[in-house]
Amino acid sequence: MKHLVIACMVLFATATIIFAQDPAALTGRKAPDFKLEDIDGNIVGLKSSLGKGPVLISFWATWCKPCMEEMVEIQKIYDEFNPKGLTLFAVSTDNEKSAAKVKPLVKSKKYTFTVLLDPNSDAARKYYAQAIPFTALIDKNGTIVYTHMGYKKGDEITLRKKLNALLP
Amino acid sequence: MKNIFFFLLFLSTTLILAQDEMPKANLPEGLGISNQLKYSNDINTDREIFENWLNLDYTYGIFTTGIRFDIFQPVNFSTNWSGAKERYSDIGFKYIKAELGEADAGMELTVGNYYALFGRGMVLKSYEDRNLREDNNLQGVKIKARYHNLTVTALSGMPENKSGDRTDILHAADFEYRIMKDLKTGFSLASNQKQGQIKSTTTLYAFRVQPSLPFGDVYVEYGIKKDEDEKQENFAGKESITGKAFYGNLNMYEEGFSLSSEYKYYDNFSFTTGNGSVSYNTPPATRKDYTYLLLNRHTVSLDAANENGYLIEGSYQYAEGSSLLISYGLTNTLPAWSLYQRSVRKDAPAPAGLKTFTQMREVYSQIAHHFNDNLTITGIFGYNEESKDSTKNITPIIDCKYYLDEINTFRLIIEHQYTTERKTGETFYTDAVLIEYLRSPSFSVSLLSELETKEPTKGNMVRKMWNMVQFGYQIGEHTDLNLLFGSRQAGTICIGGVCRYEPEFSGVELKMMTRF
Repeated sequence: MKHLVIACMVLFATATIIFAQDPAALTGRKAPDFKLEDIDGNIVGLKSSLGKGPVLISFWATWCKPCMEEMVEIQKIYDEFNPKGLTLFAVSTDNEKSAAKVKPLVKSKKYTFTVLLDPNSDAARKYYAQAIPFTALIDKNGTIVYTHMGYKKGDEITLRKKLNALLP
Repeated sequence: MKNIFFFLLFLSTTLILAQDEMPKANLPEGLGISNQLKYSNDINTDREIFENWLNLDYTYGIFTTGIRFDIFQPVNFSTNWSGAKERYSDIGFKYIKAELGEADAGMELTVGNYYALFGRGMVLKSYEDRNLREDNNLQGVKIKARYHNLTVTALSGMPENKSGDRTDILHAADFEYRIMKDLKTGFSLASNQKQGQIKSTTTLYAFRVQPSLPFGDVYVEYGIKKDEDEKQENFAGKESITGKAFYGNLNMYEEGFSLSSEYKYYDNFSFTTGNGSVSYNTPPATRKDYTYLLLNRHTVSLDAANENGYLIEGSYQYAEGSSLLISYGLTNTLPAWSLYQRSVRKDAPAPAGLKTFTQMREVYSQIAHHFNDNLTITGIFGYNEESKDSTKNITPIIDCKYYLDEINTFRLIIEHQYTTERKTGETFYTDAVLIEYLRSPSFSVSLLSELETKEPTKGNMVRKMWNMVQFGYQIGEHTDLNLLFGSRQAGTICIGGVCRYEPEFSGVELKMMTRF
């Protein structure tokens, strides 16, 4: 048991240390495609949004407190960067039990960005969103250039910097 | 002690070395890697638990393939994870998928392990939730085809039961058709072929309608269950329908105001493998999910065989960042004439005194007020009654969040819970305080203290305290570390009515999540 624990930790500590040095060192992963329903029942695919500009995907849920905090900033980011070419998908990972609360919440908070439903976490699983909120930024070539898990006040500063680097 | 030393050494090394210049590395295009590790050492019981999930996925054109390598030492026997082995390390999930076409007309073919959800899970929900230690993936073939307004999913697969075998075979299909812009319908069916039985299968059928109205949305689903074994054994061959379910949801919203109401009636509608160890369906629980500690302390899991109830929730955003929320939910067991009660007593006459009882009653109200750009205070009042431990609980909470500046946040949460055990009349109360400091983008530290005060006999006050410190640190953009040490009270993690009990703990716990 102990040897296995140590072996795994050493393996991942090593990998972490190597890969953690330069955030840009590991940006080679192509964004996995997904096809999800929006809150009005339309099917939206990621593939059709690629190539036009950066795409920001934010995984969230109605019951998640930091997600609600982040959504306020996401709306501001959308207002600022959408006219410059940003596509934003807020993907709700609310399961079938809380899915009923997504549309009322979106309407009451007056979010204007596209909200998609991922009730069985199929898209979240593809993006390795191991916890929410989880943000993935994709450049116009379809490459994931930034991921972030959790939300703390100030995380939007980093995200803005990344977006400014991608947009003219 | 050795392990604590090892963890501190490991953490320090990781953090120190992460600052230095190291060579760059690039993943091959199309390859994705993620790893989730959890290690805990309980010093009171000298019990070590190690769990690890490693995912590798590779995409090339329309094809994607992947594996998940799992390690569990020791195995958690309360779940169906990793069979009955004492120590488990194996490939728990493997698949090949081909995706053709576009969003409006296309097809997905998956061979290997997969998950699936029909509607809102009344007939089928195959999913993974690591927090709940739930994984009822199916192994077989799944096809999902979409042509404009029609979506068809068909699958055939075998779930892994607690003994680690895949014996039962599930065949299922779902048809969803959008008749017009504001009206969608669906039909699901699923049939489980039990191990070693050729004739008797359990089959579920459900029909759903989803109209969108000018003021809101409606979702209605009705299902029936047929099972020849149950019919003969529990209903003396008289009932061809051995289970029924109904779920309805009405949402209304207008200018900052929203109202969501749900109703459920689940009568003998649990759908499991032949030995009962794997659940195929988890219909909507109509229960509120809580993120505060004490609100999850006394709760009851969903029972798809014997439930009837509703949940109403209204919210109003009265200013930017400020809102009111009120919710009321009730879940009762079913009456004597229900299929469930009749099946339990083998269709014999109901004994006198058999009554329905309230499994769960919950009231939740919350006001979040945004005082200025820096300060938000949330006041909460929760009340619930539950039948599992037969308690009623009154829980006021105050949650203060203060932004010190653009990147620093201070948070204080004070929870108090007054509990009455209804059978014995004993009362006790619990207090929990969380103090948290967060610094964007990479650091957080929190202290959680909990105090339970009981008075088992008059004048004999017994107090018990748990304290836990948690550090969170993000290494680069790919790894999140969490280190906890101290003690915590036993508790329950509940998501959508599915709950997992976490025993009392005292020691060290490390979580590391990595993704590339």
